[in-house]
Parts: sequence; structure tokens; C-alpha cells
Amino acid sequence: MGVVGESVVRVDAAAKADGTLRYTDDLAFDGLYGVVVRSEIAYGKIRSITYDPAFDFSGIVIVDHSDIEGRNANVVLTDDQPFLAATRVRHIGEPILLLAHRSKQRLRDAAAHITIDYDAQEPVLSMEESLACKQRLYGEDNVFKAIHTVKGSVPEAEGLHSLDKTYTTPHQEQAYLEPQSMVARYNGGRVKIIGSMQCPFFVEAALEGLAGEKIEVEQAPTGGGFGGKEDYPSLIAGYAYLLCKKAGQDVKIVYDREEDIAYTTKRHPSKLRYKSRFDSMGKLYALEVEIIIDGGAYVTLSPVVLARCVLHAAGFYDCGYLRIDARAVATNTPPNGAFRGFGAPQVLFGIERHMDDIARALGLSPAAVRERNLPGADSVGVSGVPITEHARLRALFETARRESGFDALYDVPSPHRGVGMALFMHGAGYTGVGESMLASSVSIALESDGSVEIRVGSVEMGQGTLTALPQIVADALALPVEMVTCRTPNTAEVADSGPTVASRTVMIVGRLLAQAASKLKTALGDYDSPDGYREAVTRYRQSGAPQQFGASYEQPADILWDEDLFYGNGYEAYGLGCYIAEVEVDPVDYRVRVVRFDAYNDVGQVVNPMMAEGQVEGGVAQGIGYALFERLVYETGRVRSPRFSDYTLPMAPDLLKISVRFLGLEGPSLGLGELPMDGPAAAVANALGHVLGNAFDALPITPETVEEACR
Amino acid sequence: MQITCTINGKVHRFDCAPESRVLDLVREAGMTSVKAGCGEGECGACSLFVNGRLVNACLLLAPQIQDAEVVTLEGLQEETAAIRESFAEHGAVQCGFCTPGFVLRAYDYLSHGGERSEEAIKAALDGNLCRCTGYRKIVEAIVKVKS
Ligand code: FES
Ligand code: FES
Repeated sequence: MGVVGESVVRVDAAAKADGTLRYTDDLAFDGLYGVVVRSEIAYGKIRSITYDPAFDFSGIVIVDHSDIEGRNANVVLTDDQPFLAATRVRHIGEPILLLAHRSKQRLRDAAAHITIDYDAQEPVLSMEESLACKQRLYGEDNVFKAIHTVKGSVPEAEGLHSLDKTYTTPHQEQAYLEPQSMVARYNGGRVKIIGSMQCPFFVEAALEGLAGEKIEVEQAPTGGGFGGKEDYPSLIAGYAYLLCKKAGQDVKIVYDREEDIAYTTKRHPSKLRYKSRFDSMGKLYALEVEIIIDGGAYVTLSPVVLARCVLHAAGFYDCGYLRIDARAVATNTPPNGAFRGFGAPQVLFGIERHMDDIARALGLSPAAVRERNLPGADSVGVSGVPITEHARLRALFETARRESGFDALYDVPSPHRGVGMALFMHGAGYTGVGESMLASSVSIALESDGSVEIRVGSVEMGQGTLTALPQIVADALALPVEMVTCRTPNTAEVADSGPTVASRTVMIVGRLLAQAASKLKTALGDYDSPDGYREAVTRYRQSGAPQQFGASYEQPADILWDEDLFYGNGYEAYGLGCYIAEVEVDPVDYRVRVVRFDAYNDVGQVVNPMMAEGQVEGGVAQGIGYALFERLVYETGRVRSPRFSDYTLPMAPDLLKISVRFLGLEGPSLGLGELPMDGPAAAVANALGHVLGNAFDALPITPETVEEACR
Repeated sequence: MQITCTINGKVHRFDCAPESRVLDLVREAGMTSVKAGCGEGECGACSLFVNGRLVNACLLLAPQIQDAEVVTLEGLQEETAAIRESFAEHGAVQCGFCTPGFVLRAYDYLSHGGERSEEAIKAALDGNLCRCTGYRKIVEAIVKVKS
């Protein structure tokens, strides 16, 4: 009864489709609504806060930084970000005050009668201004984190060609359909937090620092995350907590779409300079990459995003000399954070555009240039260790090239149609030894009726955790999948299996669950039928032995990582992708249509093919959005028009045929969630380059940029 | 002001400001299948029927439902059963936040004799946003609804 590998219907599909599933804002609620009063300026000092004496503030709960009993710091990697600004603000929208009241109208009126005066200073609004130290925002040089790494030696070969190109990528909004939302429940002085989130244990840790007391955190059904609910919910949970504690009543905060787009974290914009040297056949000899990403006003996750940029910056291509200089810098814009792909989509756009630029410079086919640079058994990656995926990568590349008919499409260009390719990888799980630092653990419990309950902090946010994890456990126990369920992730009741990020849920948590399940199986002894299983359960339960089984992460012995030298196995394993896009340009309005998209993936074993396909299709859609539609315009550090009518997401008619293939199905599962976000932008941009013979080096590629390129 | 309407066949009276959004009123009345996704008519998550027409509740103000017959997904469970089943079976549901809106859109489309072709269905879905699925499986689910 091998349920792994079967397209089991999602366990939560019915409740979602009939509208009975309760997301945070749908939960029964009788309490106060909370709102955040935010900075109107990008950089400066708070001079004074005035409450209009003509307005009756009685009954309005007001919280400022002085109400915080624990630490006024949202500690992600460092403690630079306050929950509430005390004296200084560093971006537009920075939280200063919190208000709560039963009536939303009274709340709005109250907010309108508060005036905050500032001593405004000239803000730093671009990466260039930051590096020029227009103001000193962070440390000596405004650099949150720098990573420099060199591998191999400068080639001595004569007569090499060289290319020096800069590529840029913009902010991207996660645009989960359910806005950020959080409820704090007050129960006799203790507070329980329930909300939309990816990482209940992150929220718990952040709140315990803020509150200086133990806090229970529970995930509510979550309407999408894509990274946007990784670190940000700690802030809004903190606001709900502070108001709830002061009011002694339940408090709910739900962002509206504008607030969500304007002030929550985004994908880091990047500026990527690729300098390469190669021979006349397109073989790379040297690659120097300069990466700058804009972290925004506070450190948050930028150092880890930057590490992921570095590890993916050269793709898996074989190159004798590789030098990478990467910096994450501070600006006076809202902090950027996690978004599906976590730094990889930016640099993979860079390297994959650059491969096409090399091909164009030499008059060669992009597939031929990629083939020439495929890694071999002795190729070494950016962190100095061999690229063990070389054979799988070649197999994937060759299949994709052949089955998609890439060469034929490329050789016969049509005036309006073009084809483009991206070949890429995605490290699954945490970077470096991150996984061993998380020290994840899982637990399963045997219930009296023989069913099994999974108790982990890994959450369902749309990607299928509630279905995939039971499939894995049921598979290990040879049970029908209905016999296994997941307990609601609540920090008081489940094991800390680490955050639901980085495609680690199936790969890492799933593997641990399989280990825990096999311990249970051993304890139960032999059974070969459902009845036999039930008898074994009865026998075992009567013995009074433990009903819970756990497993914890242990780093595989062959994984090594030296953070200072940036040397070792950047990841335990990599998923691989080769994506082919065919685009059509409308000669009248310059709109670009992706008329066909073939996504070839190698992610090892696929737990649930239907859900996996859905992940790839959704990721490709986001990637196409990144390439062609999604544009946030900032003016003096503020998002201009933070609305879906201006920030255009792909709609159904925009997406034509996406076909998804999985190869290399044997072996362990390698993590799938992020991979499909990495390739589409480069494939689409390269396809456009094929039609128009022009380079598209900056995302997004809008009708305006296409028109310009056509002139 | 006082607003009276029926929601899913039951009479509801609201004492509310004239600028109250219908979205908030029906949610407060317990119809939480109606979701607030964008608040500006772009996403379709707040879809419901008013006098038989599928509309976005976030764009309607309270006076616009005076004496109206409002129907939400809660009131169309039987009628949408085959659609919902098809959505589940074909992997058209991920985070699910958009799903009630898509189910109502599909119901509206099919009950008006909408053609079962991918192109036509895609065009019909133009007012509904889904950030998770890439739409392909939603379209497939609608094509394959058992009638
Ligand atoms: S919330 Fe009404 S259309 Fe989006
Ligand atoms: S399933 Fe998440 S928005 Fe559609």
C-alpha cells in the first residue's frame, strides 16, 4: 500500500471548497480591533506625538514603545528592528503606536486625531546612495552583510573573449491572497496567539523576547505565504499581543490589501554584474560576479538571502575561476524578506541571462553554450566542493532540449515568436549547517483506535503539508492515508520541526517522520493486514509502552561547512530544473504572451504528483509574473498605489500551456516548493531576446520596455 | 440606516452606516465563505450573488442590497457539489482562499451554459485571482465537472 507517489486528494480540499474552513479573520471573535499608526517619513526623529484634545480618546487602547515590558526588538538574526519606534524611524510605515477599540469607525477617527511631528532627515533610497554612505544607517558602511569568495585561479589562456554585463531585478510582492492577520486571545492574564503564519516557533520566540513570558502560538489555516509569512507575522503578532495585554481583551489585527502591500516584506531587489571570459566555443574560463541586494531598513533575513544568492550565482556551470563579491545594504525603505526562491531567482536570472549573452556574442545557440559548460565529475562549485549532481543535470538538460524541440524552434526564428531556456538548480533546506542549528524534531502519536497523529510545527499554507506528511507516515507504516492526521501546529503541543520554508518540509521533516514511523513499526512487530495492524496496536497499547515516537535531525556525516571560508556543502541536496519558454510579441501593443511553457524538473521522489504539479504550475505563474507583470513603483521610499489594480498579477488568460514533467524520480525527495520560481524569468527574457534580438536585462519586461527595444 | 435583505433565503436586518461595505455585512452575518482579498474588485474572493447576478461584495455599499436577494456559497452547497468535488479531485485547491470565489464563478458560468473549452473558461475566469495554482488545474476542474 505505497501511498507515496500517489495523487491522493488533499485532505483539506473539501472544507476549502465549501467555504467552511475558518481562516484567522473567519474565527468567532468578540473583542477589539487593532490598528497600527505608522511613520509618515522615511528617515528621521520623532519630535512629538500630540493627541487632539478635542477628541475623546477614552476607551481607545493606546500602546507605544514604553508599554513593552520585555525587549523592544524583533530578533530575527540581529536585534536592530524595534517592534515600535521609540525615537527614530527608518522607513515610511514604521510602526510607532498601536490603537484598539471595538468599533472600527472609532478607531479610524482616533487615528485621524493623532499628530506625529518629526525632524526629518534626507533618506537613503537606493543601493547606490547607500554604498556611497549618503547617511550612515548601519555600521560603518551601511552593509548588513558582505560575502566574498574566490575559487580556482585566474586563467592563463590566451585570446579569450570577455563580456561585462549588469542585470537588475525588482521588488516582488508575495501577494498571498489572504492578507496578514492575527488574533490575540486573552485568558486570565495569559495570551494565546492565533494567526496566519508559516513558522509558529519563530513567532513564539519573537514574542517571548518581547513579552518576557511564555506564549502559546497556534497557526490558523493560512491562505498562502510564499515567504511573506515567514518572518513578518512575528511583528503583527507582537502588536496583537501588546494591545491584548494592555486591554485585557481579545484583539484582532487584519491588514487590508494596501497596508499589506505597502509595509510588509518583499523580495529583495538586486543589481548583478557578471564579468566573464570564455573561448570562441563559449566555454567559460572565468566568472566574476558582483551582487548587491537592497535589504531595506532593518537586517531581518538579508544575510541568509545573500548567502543563497552567492551559492546560486554561477548556477552549476563549470568554471575554472570564480569570484563573487556580494553585499546586502541598508536603505530607508520597508525591510525586504523571504519570498519563494529566497535570493536564487535574482541571481539565476543573472547567470541565465548571461549564458544567452555569451551565446549571442559568439553567434552560437544558447543550448550549445550551456552544454559546453555543463559540469562533469571533477567540476567544483562555488563553495569549493564537487558538483555531485552533474550526471542528473546533464540528463535533465538533454531530455528537455530534445523533447521540447528547442533547437528546431531556435534555428527557425519567426518575427514575433521566440524561444528561451533556463537551466538551474535550487538548494533544498537551510544553507550550510543551518539544518543542524535548527535541530528539528518530530513526533507521532499512536491513538487508541490505531490512527496516528503527526505532531510537528510544519504548516499547511496551500502547498499540501497536511496531505504529504500523512502520505509519508502512512507509507512507512503500510496504512491507508486516512489513518494518519496532523495536529494543528501549536507551540505548546507539537514538536519544533523548524520553520515551513526553504522546501524543507517534505525533504527534512518528511524524512524524520519516516524515521519516527519506522520506530513505531518496529515497536508494533510484524503485521501484514489492516486487521493484523489493529491487533498489534491493541497488544502494544496493553503493554503500557510509550505511545509517542520521535526523531531529530542529525547532520549527515559527509556534510561539511565552514562559514568563514564559505567552503563546503552549501546544501544537503539540490533540485534541478530546465525550463523552456516560447513567447509571442504583439507587434501592435507590444504585449508579450507566453504561448508555451515546458517545465522539466528533477526533485527526486515525488510524494504526490498532482500536488507537485500544482506547485510547479503556481511557481511558474509567479515567475512569469516576475518577468512580465509585477511592478512596484516606489516614490521617496513609499510604494505608489499599493493595490492589485496597479500591481498586476497574472490572471487565467495570461497563462497558456504550462506543461510539467518530473524526471529522476528515484532517490530521496529533494524539495520542490521553491525551484519553479527560479527559472521562468530568465527563460522568458531569453525567449524575448530571441524574437527581438535585444537584451532584456531588467525585470519586469513591460510593454513599454519592449516598445523601447523595438525602436 | 436600516437595511433589509435576504441572505440565503433568510431575512437579515442591518443597522449600519450607508457607506458600509456589503462584504463586511455578510461576513458579520456569518457568511465567511465571502473573503476579503483585495477590497477593490480585482480578485473575486468576495463573490456572491445579488438578485441572481454574480458580483464583488467589496464594491457594493449597504443601500445596494436593500430588499435584495443575496446568495453566498453557504446557500449553494447542493448546487455546487459537483463543482467542488471536481476542484478537489483535480488539484484545483491549494491555500483555498480564492476557492469559494472560483466555485461561484464556475457555477455561474456553467449554469449559464458556458462552453467547456479551456479558452472560454480562461476568459470567464478573468475577474478571479489565484496566486497559488497558476490556474491550470482550476480550468481543468471546470472542464471536467460531472453534469
Ligand atoms: S475582495 Fe472583492 S474583489 Fe477582491
Ligand atoms: S489556492 Fe491560494 S489563492 Fe488560489
